[in-house]
Amino acid sequence: MSLQKILLNFEPRPENLLAVLKKTQKENKYIGKKECEVIADYFSLPLARVYSFASFFDGIRTKKDDKKIIKICSGGPCLSENSKKVARQIEMFLGVEVGNDIHSKYRLEYMSCLGLCDRGPIVEIEGNIFERVKPETVDDILKNYL
Amino acid sequence: MDILTKNWDKIDPLRIDSYTRTGGYGALRKAIREMDPEKVVAEIKMSGLRGRGGAGFPTGEKWGMAAKTPAKEKYFICNLDESEPGVHKDRAIAEKNPHQIIEGILIGAAAVGAKKAFIYINGNYQKQKEILEIALEQAREKELVGKSVMGSAFKVEIVIFEGAGAYICGEETALLSSIEGKRGEPRLKPPYPPVAGLFGKPTIVNNAETLANIPFIIKQGAKTFSQIGSSASPGTKLFVLEGAVRNRGIHEAPLGITAQELIYNSLYGGGMASGKEFWFAQIGGASGRLAPAGKLDQSLSYGPGEFPLGCGSILVVDKSADIKDLLFSWADFFHRESCGKCLPCREGTYRLWEIAKRIKNNDVSKRDKENIEEILWTLSNTTFCPLGNFAAVAWKDAMRMFSDKIFN
Ligand SMILES: Cc1cc2nc3c(=O)[nH]c(=O)nc-3n(C[C@H](O)[C@H](O)[C@H](O)COP(=O)(O)O)c2cc1C
Ligand code: SF4
Ligand code: FES
Repeated sequence: MSLQKILLNFEPRPENLLAVLKKTQKENKYIGKKECEVIADYFSLPLARVYSFASFFDGIRTKKDDKKIIKICSGGPCLSENSKKVARQIEMFLGVEVGNDIHSKYRLEYMSCLGLCDRGPIVEIEGNIFERVKPETVDDILKNYL
Repeated sequence: MDILTKNWDKIDPLRIDSYTRTGGYGALRKAIREMDPEKVVAEIKMSGLRGRGGAGFPTGEKWGMAAKTPAKEKYFICNLDESEPGVHKDRAIAEKNPHQIIEGILIGAAAVGAKKAFIYINGNYQKQKEILEIALEQAREKELVGKSVMGSAFKVEIVIFEGAGAYICGEETALLSSIEGKRGEPRLKPPYPPVAGLFGKPTIVNNAETLANIPFIIKQGAKTFSQIGSSASPGTKLFVLEGAVRNRGIHEAPLGITAQELIYNSLYGGGMASGKEFWFAQIGGASGRLAPAGKLDQSLSYGPGEFPLGCGSILVVDKSADIKDLLFSWADFFHRESCGKCLPCREGTYRLWEIAKRIKNNDVSKRDKENIEEILWTLSNTTFCPLGNFAAVAWKDAMRMFSDKIFN
């Protein structure tokens, strides 16, 4: 769907700004300068306001990123379910440390709790969420997605 | 005594009839047909209900403030942003009994005179959002939401607003900013939202669990409610038990209960998981204090106490855990979630996170040790909003209780 078409589904009122950004990101993977300009125009807002808003949220990406992103929850409850060992295993499999952005294809990061703590450890691969991940099973999950 | 979980797993969340059959929306009918708005506010005041979002503010007083403030437009917001690590009680209510929340919103909106309500939901709660959407659609069909609620002059629209992964947007003023299309940074209070909130209009922000209590109070009366739980903060609470405890997950229990009972009583936690030995418990999510075994006998309620209950989650940590991992876990969360508005928190949480990494890798320096104290003091005393204070709570306790294990 083009950005113009997405915009037509929303009244240009401030309370719709985040919803527009989320929808645009779904279609476009990220919200760059061009998208910000069109959206700012539609909402009659300064470009700086739209960009600073978009860049505020963890869930909105403002830069193109071709790397595959793998995230692991760093929360206490996931930790008590052995997320540390799972993280070690992913690091070994990918050959990159968490938070160390040097791999050309993958980025491995910690993320904040998703509220799925009763099913931890939680791993997110390219937006797909995996529950109760074990060090023994994580290789197979990664192979399927990368 | 179950108020919130009573019909969980008995009713079908996707069918409104299933809720009305258990007496659902009876409280709304009573509030609209038999009571005037002042009476509803008075009843909630009398019940002693306190907010379940963390701060424990008396709900009736909050409603009274918004009701008294004259304005053509007012807003009512259900806070379902829930993103404290270890907390997923609001998710469970939305999933198991969505109409309980919607009925609470409707009664509240009618009481304060709000014509528009939002459910601000955590962006990760997609399934719960869909359930709420279906529930709202069915409520509209039954004329419980819309132009004339139950044939009365009261009209209200409820819309779902989806967050995008920012813990700080659970803080009520940051939440309001983000709906207004502004960065989710907290605002200076006063003015408080009930006086000047969303778009400058009187606005109520209530936690989803707080609102789920409303139908019971209206139907059974404030008196019945006020006799449950502790006198300082009546009612029950959804506690979330996590970590090395046998029955993990959500347990409803009267306020005033001790952590000891929650963890060890077979009705709730059922004791330590097999093979695990108790070390300490963290009470109130990642921003909660650490309680050693000798302190578990204190009662948990909203009001003065050594261990603030917060949103009601308890992480049970056993002796096999490494405190260094936990220090990193807390620091990692708060450095990512600091909104960046004020320097002490933006820099403090970042530096603490760097030191946490060094602690984890066993290369912490003498300077680090000195700086920790200073950073924790700064976070506790100089930040703009409570998030900065939260970031220091568990660290301060850990430094006091386990420094031999941290700097070995
Ligand atoms: C950093 C921070 C995060 C918060 N997150 C939430 C949240 O996720 N859900 C919530 O209901 N309240 C949260 N609160 C509390 C809200 O600011 C507010 O007090 C609450 O929603 C009021 O509702 P209540 O009176 O029903 O508890 C948070 C507060 C702070 C300081
Ligand atoms: S204390 Fe932290 S979260 Fe709160 S306003 Fe300051 S930077 Fe933002
Ligand atoms: S702590 Fe990992 S999902 Fe909540």
